[in-house]
This record gives sequence, structure tokens and C-alpha cells, in this order.
Amino acid sequence: MIKIDHLTKRYGDTLAVDDLDFEVRPGVVTGFLGPNGPGKSTTMRIILGLDRPTTGRATIEGKRYAELRDPLHEVGALLDAKAIHPGRSARNHLRALAASNRIPFSRVDEVLEFSGISSVADKKVGDYSLGMSQRLGIAGALLGDPGVLLFDEPVNGLDPEGIRWIREFFRSLANEGRTVFVSSHLMSEMAVSADQIIVIGRGKFITQGSVDALTASAKGTVFVRGANHQQLLAALKAHHGVVHEVNDEGLSVSDLTSDQIGQIAFEAGVALYELTPQRASLEEVYMDLTADAVEYGSTGARRE
Amino acid sequence: MSSDVTLGSTIRSEWIKFRTVRSTIMGVIITFVLTVGLGALITTAVRAHWHTMNPARQLTFDPVSASLSGILFAQFAVGVIGTLFITSEYSSGSIRTTLAAVPNRLELVWGKLLVLAASMFVVSEIACFITFIMGQAIFSGVVPSASLGSAAVVRTVILAGVYLTLLSVLGFSLGLILRQSAACISVFTSLLLILPIIVFLLPQSWQNTITKFEPSELGHAMTSLTTPTNDFGTWTSLIVLSIYVVVVLGVGTTMLIRRDA
Repeated sequence: MIKIDHLTKRYGDTLAVDDLDFEVRPGVVTGFLGPNGPGKSTTMRIILGLDRPTTGRATIEGKRYAELRDPLHEVGALLDAKAIHPGRSARNHLRALAASNRIPFSRVDEVLEFSGISSVADKKVGDYSLGMSQRLGIAGALLGDPGVLLFDEPVNGLDPEGIRWIREFFRSLANEGRTVFVSSHLMSEMAVSADQIIVIGRGKFITQGSVDALTASAKGTVFVRGANHQQLLAALKAHHGVVHEVNDEGLSVSDLTSDQIGQIAFEAGVALYELTPQRASLEEVYMDLTADAVEYGSTGARRE
Repeated sequence: MSSDVTLGSTIRSEWIKFRTVRSTIMGVIITFVLTVGLGALITTAVRAHWHTMNPARQLTFDPVSASLSGILFAQFAVGVIGTLFITSEYSSGSIRTTLAAVPNRLELVWGKLLVLAASMFVVSEIACFITFIMGQAIFSGVVPSASLGSAAVVRTVILAGVYLTLLSVLGFSLGLILRQSAACISVFTSLLLILPIIVFLLPQSWQNTITKFEPSELGHAMTSLTTPTNDFGTWTSLIVLSIYVVVVLGVGTTMLIRRDA
């Protein structure tokens, strides 16, 4: 289990992590989701003892990383797949890593085989594609057969086959009772690979829950088509409805249920041809949750 | 249960890293070529011009330091080897993987330091003894030569290797502080080449007191059979240079421990 305890990290004037407080439990895949920005990677670096928190702490099974006796046996991490000396072969990279924690070299061959890069293990890492580097990073994380695994944006650079492989791999790690913590800026990816999701934005905690619970909590919209859209619009607005789209087809309304809309249309004397509740996609929920937290939001039409 | 990560396992890991990159292999080859190759060139030149050399210089001629002249160039190669041993971890980003495997940063410095110093000591001593023996063979019959039968001669050749080893550790220590290869190599080169030029522009009386503190001059004193005028003695020079290296290493280690990786 990973415990993040009122963690704050400040770099100069920038607040990269702002009072984060959550737990990552074993046995499930936990997605760590947020727009691009420093918060997710910084949190992971603090968990690994690479960066020092300004306040608060991060612990693994109750201990700070520096207090772990056999770090690679307890925590496996893939932070940046390309962060390996480009002139060294994958095998030598893993052997150096194994030697530091007294892991036998036979284990190096095992993880190379598992990650599917045995055949290129003696090539220089600098010649690897990003996908191959990701596989090498995963091999490195598995080296000590750890109970806690951290992956920072692991699907970047993987081909579709690799993405499917990594999803199944996360699932099997969690099924073995391990703690699996995976960061991503893509909700669509987390929706299929994670069980639990923690959403942050600008270093602040936004929400946490199962994928299903997050979708259910989202505000849906209702699509309405009727005889007189102008009249309907005025009536809905008078009842504090929020109308998003108006075109010849119909209206998209939120903050009112389909029952309420039907009643309002009836009282306004507008005949309805269609009244369809629409459930928000997880992607929309995410966009909605993080709308205020996007570091470099596009300004859209105003720029043109 | 005791920890799996010990100084021994860290040394083993760092030794694998040290010998599995081309920069180390190239650096060692260049160290040999510069020490032995330039030693051969310089001693051959001395032999060829010996009879035209003025008698006063012939009297004070030091065959040991002349045969070891190549280290003036090899010192840059060993400095680069030491620097890259740590800065390549920062340029590639692998320092994070390294520190995740060995969270005790002091232990990491010790591991790297022992691997670097032991390897560079062996390489430098072999190169220095080869160039010494070869140089004396070239001098033989024409130029007065020195022999390993003299304790002072053996000491001087050994100290040439020690000088190169200390400079590789100096390069490594600068790397801990600056983290960037180019910055480190600039500072390293400035200390050895630019500093003497700046001092040379000062009044003569100042030069006499300051010059002996320059790293390159300390090396000159360590690798000469008889102490040059205005320099510290052999052992004092070794101590002063060691103090420099230990101070820079101490600052570098403290910074590694304190800073975010």
C-alpha cells in the first residue's frame, strides 16, 4: 500500500503538489489521472525518495522509501523509459540494477523474456524505439518481484498490441495482490485499464473513486426536440435549465431531468417530439472535473 | 534480515556500469595513448637534441619527469572519465533509476568513488610504468637515464599514477556539483590550463607564492625527482592536492544528498 499524507511540493514559486492526501490499495489497478503538468510525476518521484517533499510524507507499507531495506524487492518503478544510458545494452543495464540489490542474473533473463525484448537484449538502448524502451522499463520494474509497482505514463509510445499487453499485465499484477499505481493524462486509457481512479489538477486533489462511480456522479444532459425551440428555450431558462446547444435539430439541456423538461414543455404549450436522457462519457466527466485545472488551456475561437 | 543493498553490492553494480559504456573504454585507451605515446615522442626528441642542449640544462635534467611528460595531456582524459561517470547519469536521466535502487546516497558516492579510483589507479600506474621503462630505454646510451633500483625513482613513477587517479576523482567530484558534462570539463580544463596563465600575468613575487598551489604545479612537484624551485616538496604537494579533491568531493556529496534528483 502507498500512503500519501498531506503532501506538498513547491519548486520556487510553483506549487507542483498541493496538499495531496490519499491511499493506493493493493489488489486493484489505481489510475492517477490529471492534465499534463508537474503534479503526477512529482508525486511519484517523492514516493521513490528522489525529491524531498516541502511538507507531508509518502510511505510504502508504512515506511519512507529511504527506509526500505531492499528497495527493488519492495517497489518497482518505471518513470521515464528513455532515462537509460544510451550506450549501454539492455542486458547490462538490468545486470547493473540487479547487482545493486543482490538479485541473481538469471532473473535478468527472465524479465527480458517476459517483456518480449530478449532478442534485442544485447543491443544498445539508444537504438531502441520508445515502445521497446517502455518494455525495458517494465522489465526493470519487475526485476525484484516487488509488491508495489509505479508506472508513469506507461502507454506512451506503445503500439496497439503493446497497449493491450500492458493492460492485461497491470490486471494480472493486481490480481496477484500487488499495489499497482499508474499515471496517465488520458481518461480513455484509465477507463479501460484502471479499477480505481484518483484525479488531480494543478497538483490539487479533485476526486477519487471507481470508474463506474465517477461516471454515475456525472451530470448527464437531455436532448430535446420540439415544435418551437425559441419558446422552449425561454421556458427552460426560466426554470434554471442550462441549454448547451441550439440548432434546427433540437436542444441539449443540463441541470434538469427529462421529467422536469417534459412538465415545463407541457406548461409552456410546446409539443415535444423527442426527449432523450444522455449519460456523460467518462471523458466528458474528466474534462468537466479538470476544466479549471488545465495548465495551458486552449483559448479556442478567440485566437482566430 | 539484513539489507540486500550494501557497499559491496553497490560497488558491483557500479563496476558493471563503469565498464559497459564506450566512454570509459575510449577514455582508458586515450589515457594510454597520451601517456605512453607522448612519452615516447618527447623522450625521442630529447635524445635527438641532447648533444646540442646547453650544459646547465643537461646538469639539472630529470629523466624521470621527462619520460612521464605525457601525463600533462592524459590528465584531461582521466578527468573526463571521472566526470562522465556521474554526469552521464544526469544527461540520460538514469540517476533516478540508480537512486531508486540505492537510496542511500552516501553509499552510492562511496561505491562510485571506489570503482573509479581503483580502476583509474590500476590503469594510470600501468601506463606510467610502461612509459617510464620505455623512456629510459630510449634515453639509454645517450641521455643519462634513471632506474627503478632507486626508491626515489619508484616513488616518483607511482606518484604520477596517483596524480592521474586524483584528477579523475576531481572530475567526478565536479560532476556531482555541476551535473553537466560540458560545464564540468570547462571548469576542469580551466583549473589546469587557464589558472596558470592568469597567475603568469601577475607580478613575479606573487607568482612565486601562488604558482605552487596550482593543481598542475602540484602534479609537477609530485612527478619530479628533485623538487622544482618555489614548489612544495613531494609529499606536501600530494597532501595539498588531496585536500583540494576531498573538499570538492565533500561539497559534491553534500549537494547530491541535499538536492532533488
